[in-house]
Amino acid sequence: MVAEALEHLVRAIVDNPDEVSVRAKELRRGRIFEVRVHPDDLGKVIGRSGRTATAIRTVVTALAGKGGARVDFVDVDRRR
Amino acid sequence: MSGEAPPKDSAGAAVKRLEHEGDAAADFLEELLDIADLDGDIDLDIEGDRASVSIVGAELSVLVGANGEVLEALQELTRIAVLRETGERSRLMLDVAGYRADRRAALTERAQQTAARVLSSGEAESLEPMTPFERKVVHDAVAAAGLRSESEGEEPQRRVVIQPSG
Repeated sequence: MVAEALEHLVRAIVDNPDEVSVRAKELRRGRIFEVRVHPDDLGKVIGRSGRTATAIRTVVTALAGKGGARVDFVDVDRRR
Repeated sequence: MSGEAPPKDSAGAAVKRLEHEGDAAADFLEELLDIADLDGDIDLDIEGDRASVSIVGAELSVLVGANGEVLEALQELTRIAVLRETGERSRLMLDVAGYRADRRAALTERAQQTAARVLSSGEAESLEPMTPFERKVVHDAVAAAGLRSESEGEEPQRRVVIQPSG
């Protein structure tokens, strides 16, 4: 549910919703969600001073409940 | 989006634009409620020059959070989603389970009491740190009481100071 909610939040705010992917990883320390977006949309999901990314994390952490969740926005360009 | 010019605000056009904002916000939020398996109805209204969107339901505290922080975050995301949908910046106000309405009533009362004290003592008083929404409520209540107030400090420690002179 949390991954789907996260994907919905991100898809709603980018220009290229079909290029949004969310991958959930279970680590010993908790859950991590890796979010990939079109490179042109990265600035949009991060927002001025990281404001949008913070808002996304706040909502996702609340929905995740106990144990919380980490959200990573992966810079696809830089990883290659 | 079509390339029509931003509506020249005849009242009717402004109302139409705000209704469109509300509809876009409702679509975004309804899908979120659905995914999160939360029961809530969405009420749309217009308050002054803003669209007002309320999610009403019994078990929505998860979407309010401590000190309304989840509500603020969700409002921020809803505004961005509406901007993407309509092409226009939105100043819509989101409420969840009446949180803002309750907060507004409580803050207005505090502001009135503090303003009365400042009026009789002649000394400025500062209130605890508040969100922009909360400060606006206090500023409005202080102005209605005929006094002046300003905000001081940096977020998230920004607070309202009520001044003795009108």
